[in-house]
Amino acid sequence: MKHTLLALCLSTLIAQPAVAEFHNQPHAAGIETYGYQWNTPDQDMNRALAHPADAKKGEAAYKICKGCHKADGSGLADADYPQLAGQHASVIIKQIMDIRAGRRDNPRMYPFSGDWIVSAEEIADIAAYLNALPTPGSNGKGNGYNLAHGKALYEKDCATCHGKSGEGDAGKFIPMVAGQHFIYLKRETRESRDQGRRNASPEMVKALKSYTDADVEAVSDYMARLSVAGKR
Amino acid sequence: MPVLKPRMLAAVVCFAGTLASAGTVQAADDAAKAAGIANEICAGCHGVDGNSVAPTFPRLAGQQKVYLLRELKDFKSGKHVDEVMNPIASRLSDEDMVNLAAFYAAQKSTPGIVTNPALLPLGKALYMNGNAKSDIPACSSCHEEDGSGGGKFPRVAGQHVEYTLNELRLYATGKRTNGARVMQAVAERMSEEETRAVAEYMASMP
Ligand code: HEC
Ligand code: HEC
Ligand code: HEC
Ligand code: HEC
Repeated sequence: MKHTLLALCLSTLIAQPAVAEFHNQPHAAGIETYGYQWNTPDQDMNRALAHPADAKKGEAAYKICKGCHKADGSGLADADYPQLAGQHASVIIKQIMDIRAGRRDNPRMYPFSGDWIVSAEEIADIAAYLNALPTPGSNGKGNGYNLAHGKALYEKDCATCHGKSGEGDAGKFIPMVAGQHFIYLKRETRESRDQGRRNASPEMVKALKSYTDADVEAVSDYMARLSVAGKR
Repeated sequence: MPVLKPRMLAAVVCFAGTLASAGTVQAADDAAKAAGIANEICAGCHGVDGNSVAPTFPRLAGQQKVYLLRELKDFKSGKHVDEVMNPIASRLSDEDMVNLAAFYAAQKSTPGIVTNPALLPLGKALYMNGNAKSDIPACSSCHEEDGSGGGKFPRVAGQHVEYTLNELRLYATGKRTNGARVMQAVAERMSEEETRAVAEYMASMP
């Protein structure tokens, strides 16, 4: 007893832990890697998907997110914080798990989404809570100059997956894009085209291959103005 | 008591601790026992009712029970490295810690002390809204608008400015790592002015 206490005293008086960058995001292989496959099985994700989600618990757990994504899930257009209200639960779960594993780079959010602060089950609860929130129509929009061009592009290249009204597909992990902030849509579309969004769908990247920045802007403005019946 | 510097005090407590034959404080099984320990060991630094006077010693009155217990356990195990609290907590039993946490959580906190009122507006803005430019989430989202911590997170209302500043610097430099990693990210994203301002605002919260 005397010895352990003495040792403890000495060690606590002398030792200082090294500066640990333990909240830095890990890096996992993504679309830039040969043989990349989209949405491969992930243990953490399967746990969350199998969890009988409880939106009420999700509301409480969402506290750690709302400092950025806001109480109503509307995000913040200027800061590139995406709107989460009304998004499919499966999409929210997949995206967070991709960020946790390092398949989607997001160092800004990573410290607030690791398993030290939120469990896989809590993520499922949060996702259920967010999915049930109405999507505010107050999202950021573009300049509106090229909506006809945007519509044509969207209906030709995107609607097959994201749906005519931008509703996405929960079963296929395809995000709802309707009513999302324009700046965020533009960034994600561009990043997907340029393989900066490393967890992107390869088929979607193919569809974007010939897109100019002006095309990206037009289609993003169009998506930001879409709305899904019953979501507002 | 306040004349002693924490580091010196720690050395004294350590020394006394190693000499004491029993080494452990007798297990307490009720609040009265906890109050006894609090009076005997803790009051000199944390105040009789957990409202410490010296600004380097945190106020414990009204602090969240879950958080108090976690801190005491982490001090005892050495997970939370602190030269003053490690030797003190090492002498507490599990039961002592549960009782002490309940004791301090039940104490009424007295108003905190603002040392630079000019910083309050900036502190309030950061606390309530965060700073999206540097990805600092609103403190209120976790610590609650009233600073009570809401059960899951520590109470910050009425805390001493000097203690809060010290903790935020420990987080920012990666020296306080026992808890959730969120605070390291929050603290390192804050400017010096923001850190000072938010510490003042927390002290001002009733
Ligand atoms: C520090 C601010 C911050 C906090 C706190 C935060 N996020 Fe985020 N989140 C962001 C940013 C920034 C992005 C977009 C990053 C990018 O551009 O890829 C994002 C993206 C997301 C996405 C992807 C959305 C999509 O449509 O693909 C989801 C889902 C998400 N966050 C959920 C959460 C949840 C759940 C929490 C709490 C557990 C949380 N976030 C906490 C900043 C934050
Ligand atoms: C083959 C189906 C498919 C096609 C076609 C497709 N997408 Fe996607 N899109 C997806 C999937 C799947 C994701 C989610 C990727 C992931 O898991 O991160 C996605 C994600 C997105 C996102 C990010 C949304 C968010 O919340 O982060 C945007 C923006 C987007 N797509 C725009 C487009 C545009 C614009 C087009 C047409 C040019 C298009 N997509 C065509 C399947 C598709
Ligand atoms: C010699 C002075 C001293 C004594 C005696 C002392 N403490 Fe402390 N205590 C401190 C200091 C200094 C800190 C701040 C440590 C740090 O910077 O993390 C602290 C921190 C704490 C904390 C963490 C508070 C927080 O907000 O994170 C708890 C809980 C605590 N003490 C409980 C006790 C208990 C219970 C006793 C009696 C058994 C006790 N302390 C005796 C000086 C003391
Ligand atoms: C995502 C949730 C979250 C946000 C946002 C947050 N905190 Fe914290 N905070 C925590 C947690 C969890 C702890 C306990 C960490 C630990 O045990 O070390 C904590 C601890 C603290 C402490 C130490 C308390 C003590 O008694 O020792 C201070 C001071 C603090 N936070 C200040 C802030 C400030 C200032 C902000 C805003 C700029 C903020 N926090 C934002 C979750 C959060």
